[in-house]
Amino acid sequence: MTEHLSSPGRSDRLATSSVRALLFLLRARAVFVLLLLLILFSALAPSFLTANNLSILSKHVAISAILAIGMTFVVLTGGIDLSVGSVAGLGGMVAGYLLTQGLTFGGSVHYPGVLIAILIALAVCFAVGLLNGWLVAKAGVAPFIATLGTLYIARGAALLLSNGKTFPNLGGQAVRGNTGFPLLGQSFLLGIPLPVWIMLALFAVVALVAAKTPLGRHVYAVGGNERAARLAGIRVPRVKLVTYLVSSLCAALVGLIIASQLEAAHPATGESFELNAIAAVVLGGTSLMGGRGSVTGSLIGAFVIGVLSDGLVMLGVSEFWQMVIKGTVIVLAVAIDQLQSRLQAKFLPYLLSSSPEDGQ
Amino acid sequence: MNTAATEIVLEARAITKRYPGTIALDRVTFRVHRNQVNVLIGENGAGKSTLMRILAGVEAADEGELLLDGATISVRSPREAASHGISIVHQELSTLPNLDISENIFAGRELVKAAILVDRPAQDLRSAAALRKLRRPMPVRTPAAQLSLGCRQIAEAARTLDQGARILILDEPTSALSTAEADSLFHVIADLKRAGVTIIYISHRLNELLHLGDCFTVLRSGRVVGEALRAEVSRQWIVERMSGNAGAGEVQTRVPAAGAPELLVVKGLSLAASGTDEAAQAPLHDLSFTLHRREILGVYGLLGAGRTELLESLAGSRPSFAGQIILGGKQLHISTVADAVKAGIVLVPEDRQRDGLIPEMSIRENISLGSETGFFLSRARETLRVRELAGELNIATRDLELPVTTLSGGNQQKALIARCMMRSPSLLLLDEPTRGVDAVAKVEVYRILRGLAAKGLGILFTSSEIEETRMLADRVLVLCQGRISAKFSFAELTDETLFAAASPAVSTAHSSQSSELRSHD
Repeated sequence: MTEHLSSPGRSDRLATSSVRALLFLLRARAVFVLLLLLILFSALAPSFLTANNLSILSKHVAISAILAIGMTFVVLTGGIDLSVGSVAGLGGMVAGYLLTQGLTFGGSVHYPGVLIAILIALAVCFAVGLLNGWLVAKAGVAPFIATLGTLYIARGAALLLSNGKTFPNLGGQAVRGNTGFPLLGQSFLLGIPLPVWIMLALFAVVALVAAKTPLGRHVYAVGGNERAARLAGIRVPRVKLVTYLVSSLCAALVGLIIASQLEAAHPATGESFELNAIAAVVLGGTSLMGGRGSVTGSLIGAFVIGVLSDGLVMLGVSEFWQMVIKGTVIVLAVAIDQLQSRLQAKFLPYLLSSSPEDGQ
Repeated sequence: MNTAATEIVLEARAITKRYPGTIALDRVTFRVHRNQVNVLIGENGAGKSTLMRILAGVEAADEGELLLDGATISVRSPREAASHGISIVHQELSTLPNLDISENIFAGRELVKAAILVDRPAQDLRSAAALRKLRRPMPVRTPAAQLSLGCRQIAEAARTLDQGARILILDEPTSALSTAEADSLFHVIADLKRAGVTIIYISHRLNELLHLGDCFTVLRSGRVVGEALRAEVSRQWIVERMSGNAGAGEVQTRVPAAGAPELLVVKGLSLAASGTDEAAQAPLHDLSFTLHRREILGVYGLLGAGRTELLESLAGSRPSFAGQIILGGKQLHISTVADAVKAGIVLVPEDRQRDGLIPEMSIRENISLGSETGFFLSRARETLRVRELAGELNIATRDLELPVTTLSGGNQQKALIARCMMRSPSLLLLDEPTRGVDAVAKVEVYRILRGLAAKGLGILFTSSEIEETRMLADRVLVLCQGRISAKFSFAELTDETLFAAASPAVSTAHSSQSSELRSHD
């Protein structure tokens, strides 16, 4: 066995090093794009690199990054979750309802505390994730359709809660014992906004699960070859269900953070957020066909999108041009992704050309 | 016919084709004689299908050239091949089940009127004419999904005929056909020949090759190892060249399993047929058999006999079966793959690419897939165990972290066996254990399986190859249309009895009378 596993000679390594370098550049392209954007905007907009702006920027990024991190697992299994924007809206509205309207039982109104309100909001969104997962994994509904349906259901539910109105003044009242909700989105820890900490914590957990646990391995396996995964004894429906639960919970957090930042819950919150999240995931190099990609990539993708839109705003680029530019970047990213996988497939035999006789 | 001096119509000259980690064709020169049935023979993985895909423009050769009537031609797409009159009826049928016969015949080259509208009447007329020419008239508006495999092949032949094919490639056309259907295909081939069409014919079945063929070319491991006209060819000649010396001389030493305790008892296993196109399921009728520890039991049968269904029922991926499965004295209730794995039953599926490998993952990750335990993966422990198995099964790679797609077919197969062994099973199921594996690796896989059996594992495999069944099995069950039609011990086995037991007695494209159960034991 050892002779089969011997390392390649030095000359082979030199011969293939340029190919490897090219592939590395392509693979790490999102990082380069991000660096390029940062340099470009700091040069063109003097106020871009100020602490104040970076703080605002990081809050924006945190919103799309949390959604993208949650979406990554779903996309890695070959699915998609279109409902995240609506779920975010629903999460905020449930918390808003509990904090301003309270719960009526026994003829009197009870106001749950902030923590309870947050937990109930998370639970409601968890139920939507459960529905998504059940539809996709057990009922065999195509993910696009299943989550398109729950997109409407969750949005409708959010509107029904307030009859389409906004719940204002989520700051709570000391009399009702429900103050403190704004802390979630507005407080700082070590000078960094709390939502950014939440983003980092989620990233750490999800990236760890992806790389170091059987669950993560199974997520990749299901996306790579679902039939093979099932025949290998992996409980495919369970894996899929978990991915939709993760996605919905991340979306719920986003809804709560936004409601907390505004101290108001608006039923239209989160509209079209799903598209931003998908764009971030794809920019990060995760294949929509599943099986290939990373959580880190999604985080970087979210940064690219966040930096791009904030930077363009600072430069005074018209909103309409912003949309054109954003779309172009996304399409280019996917085109380059295709190029990379083609090149990789093409060069692989050459990278391995020095391998010993291979059985055939 | 056979003695007539023949003319070369198409020549593939010094064709070389490489895939990652393997050379599929190594400077192969293949001559096609005009208006003859040109037979191409070789074992699985010898490169026949690759060569045909190159002739048909589905794949491009890395080196070499194609000459048609002595002039170099380029064939970069199926469309271009068709323009030169070269057509192929694929091993995997490429009829579109949602369209009818006539639509299939004209798929991709629809006749139009008024520049944009499909001219159905004209298509139907020409389709009917082509089918008549093949002496198999069928209603041209029948959806392809309702046709038997044989009729679908006729429809494909009609398509190539209508395209004005001069050279028709038939890639294992009879592998899925009943005897009666195959017979009618032979008539079609004779008709085509009479109509001036040159045939390239690929098959495993020696009898029909000797019956049909005019010119013979033998491929082994990507090289041409024999070329002759019918008059010079005998059964012996073919077998010698096909197998080379590697496999033919191999004598397997068999440890009689008689003394070993019973491992698996299957009683009255039945499975209902289901007829959807994609996942068509052959029925199983009341199968009962036993398997001992240290025994290798072969299940031989033609395509559609229910071999795969039997294995998949045991492995938990067809939970709707009825009957009892007793493993090691304990009755099992298997409704998912996970149940089967837990009980100690693991399956190496037939189609590695579709059902086995995760192409995005490394060799190590593929091997350890499904046997991860605990909440966190232990890379070190995993690498150690995978290395150990890779050594034991002799998986040839320089690094287990490379993508699994860099392995050759034989080594991919060994990786899947390794995946199964990661779970320390008591019963190993293999569906076509050496499909798409070259001759040398084949022998190695047999040796590995024999070694695993000697260590106490029970092995149940299915095969559609007589050769393989004879080389590997201690005992053979023959399946025919979902029933056990015969049981043989290793000593009783001959090619003829095996093949006879597997062939349905009465079956045509139109009547599906089930054959009588013929018991040989």
